[in-house]
Amino acid sequence: MSGVYRYDGSFSGLLTVMARLLPQRTVPDAIGIDPPQQQSLFCEAIDVATDERLVEQFWPELIARLTPGCLHRIRQVFLADYPERELLICRYLLLAWEKGRGVAGMLAHPQVAPLWKLAQQVGHEAHRYLGFVRFQEVNGGFYYSAIAPDHRILPLIASHFAARFSDQQWVIHDQNHGEGIVYDLRQRHWLLLPMERHAKPDLTPDEEHFQQLWRSYFTTLAIDERQNLRLQQGKVPLKVRPWLVEFG
Amino acid sequence: MAVATEMMDKLKILAEGAKYDVSCSSSGSFRRNKDGIGNAASCGICHTWTSDGRCVSLLKVLMTNSCIFDCAYCVNRRSNDVQRVLLTPAEVAELTIGFYRRNYIEGLFLSTGVVRSPDYTMELLIEAVRTLREQYRFNGYIHLKLVPGADPLLVQQAGLLADRVSVNLELPTREGLALLAPDKSRDAVIGPMRQVNSLITINRAERKESRKVARFAPAGQSTQLIVGATKETDRQIVTLSEQLYQRMELKRVYYSAFIPVVADTRLPALPNSPLRREHRLYQADWLLRYYGFSAQELLDEERPNLETDLDPKTGWALRHLELFPVEINGADYEVLLRIPGIGVRSAQRIVRARRQGHLSMDDLAKLGVVLKRARYFITARGRYAGECAIDSTLLRSRLLETPAKKGAAQLELPFSRPQASDEAISLISGEL
Ligand code: SF4
Repeated sequence: MSGVYRYDGSFSGLLTVMARLLPQRTVPDAIGIDPPQQQSLFCEAIDVATDERLVEQFWPELIARLTPGCLHRIRQVFLADYPERELLICRYLLLAWEKGRGVAGMLAHPQVAPLWKLAQQVGHEAHRYLGFVRFQEVNGGFYYSAIAPDHRILPLIASHFAARFSDQQWVIHDQNHGEGIVYDLRQRHWLLLPMERHAKPDLTPDEEHFQQLWRSYFTTLAIDERQNLRLQQGKVPLKVRPWLVEFG
Repeated sequence: MAVATEMMDKLKILAEGAKYDVSCSSSGSFRRNKDGIGNAASCGICHTWTSDGRCVSLLKVLMTNSCIFDCAYCVNRRSNDVQRVLLTPAEVAELTIGFYRRNYIEGLFLSTGVVRSPDYTMELLIEAVRTLREQYRFNGYIHLKLVPGADPLLVQQAGLLADRVSVNLELPTREGLALLAPDKSRDAVIGPMRQVNSLITINRAERKESRKVARFAPAGQSTQLIVGATKETDRQIVTLSEQLYQRMELKRVYYSAFIPVVADTRLPALPNSPLRREHRLYQADWLLRYYGFSAQELLDEERPNLETDLDPKTGWALRHLELFPVEINGADYEVLLRIPGIGVRSAQRIVRARRQGHLSMDDLAKLGVVLKRARYFITARGRYAGECAIDSTLLRSRLLETPAKKGAAQLELPFSRPQASDEAISLISGEL
């Protein structure tokens, strides 16, 4: 049974779709929050409402059939900013249902390779942002960071910053996807919240001082005899530079 | 405001003095944050890259550029006429925390010139680090230089506060050291190194008994060698490194191509393509640490220097063609690692993927294995895909590396690669 499926964009929502589709062993034409319509005039998108109870039943089956590493990839791909991410997950799960945990090693299989590649891109970007986040001290006693990643990496990096900066109040704002992580110092936990795409923080005097120090330190570090701007650009792409103090 | 510019000037001078120190790794330690700020991730995190392509993960700075010693290759040497400045321990701590809170850095790398005496200098360094750990409750990464000739008690204190410690060997031989660093004796360098090694071993044993015992230099120790300032061969250098890894259990040996920063008649003029030589040494080092090669296999008396136009693994393979081609579906992991062009990550992927069925050349490509060099040394399902036979006289020329366009200065520096997950596989410096 092919078709076009619409869900609410949550991970539980997608798992609900999967729990309904997998027993039938078919790949739909499209799954999405706003899926593209098929050529046929008579083909309507089927709305799938998120069903937490069904997800709860489905979950043990999922972890029985996938290694923790594979589950992690699926989560990464779910966070990818890629139009066919749901289909990639669907095809992958279908194969896992056929072959069992062996899929973990089937890296060259056409139903696996593209998912791995995309997962790797997401993972790679998330890792890079562990370094690329730049906090600015804002009046009102917290640290603010704006980023614009390709993928929705916030849930993948939040715990790293929560463990590291647990004695300061902070926000990481993904201006590309209009969401942010807010760390609550008193409760010692973080929340992912929708946020406006733009924000203009009101910086403390100390902040300006440290930014200047950092800029001058950064320029001093380079060894002129070894200049290699192409390499630098590979590591720090132009698109991330507006958010990095040292390139300001 | 005057204070701010003064700080700026000091930082500039003291960063300038530390920037040639190549060690950049912040990995290999694990420190949890309990009620303070910061932690040390066991994989390194690069925060930015300078215009020479080197990654920045630590605030790398000297406590002072004053020095009572007079090493020939060093800008800070006594006889050099430069402005001298000093950061107080409190200033070092404040700067580190200010940068760390903003996520500019992963931690601190603190080195120094020698003021008054090695012990006095060591005490200053320790005070800075103690302030960070105790007053600011900082749990991030700290790499501390040990001053050659410092008291063993101070060395011990340093190791209890820092994640990694290092004494720079600087020159590969005793003679080189005597010539260019007459104030440093080989023993003043090796002494602390040996002491740290034994303290790490003891600490490891004690922590097996009780987790309450404080960690001593959990990220181990490293050292640095200046290459090309004296006449040593690559064979001498690689053999020395092998011994340092085996006998002193060093975590890393860094190689720094000699760049003249001061004029001195004892120093050579800039040697030809020093960066290329440095690059080859990192590759050879990588083969020692992760690929099961011995120094003897890579270099011998007849060929005491690494080839400049071939990476050392390809060079080795060309001398051992009788072992190739290797069938990718049958070879042991250790054998896969010896195939030119196949790195640790590719070898692991191959081993994993072939459990699910025999791999073809196309499958290899899909796994992300780079076949540019490897294809001349392998078969997949019995098929050979090199464009010339393995016994062909053409083979060598096919494998030669064309030098980068702008000469050696364009070479990618080994420490500038990302440290994605685990240092062992992803500080890809020499991954071949
Ligand atoms: S002891 Fe260190 S700082 Fe002093 S001159 Fe020698 S290399 Fe330079």
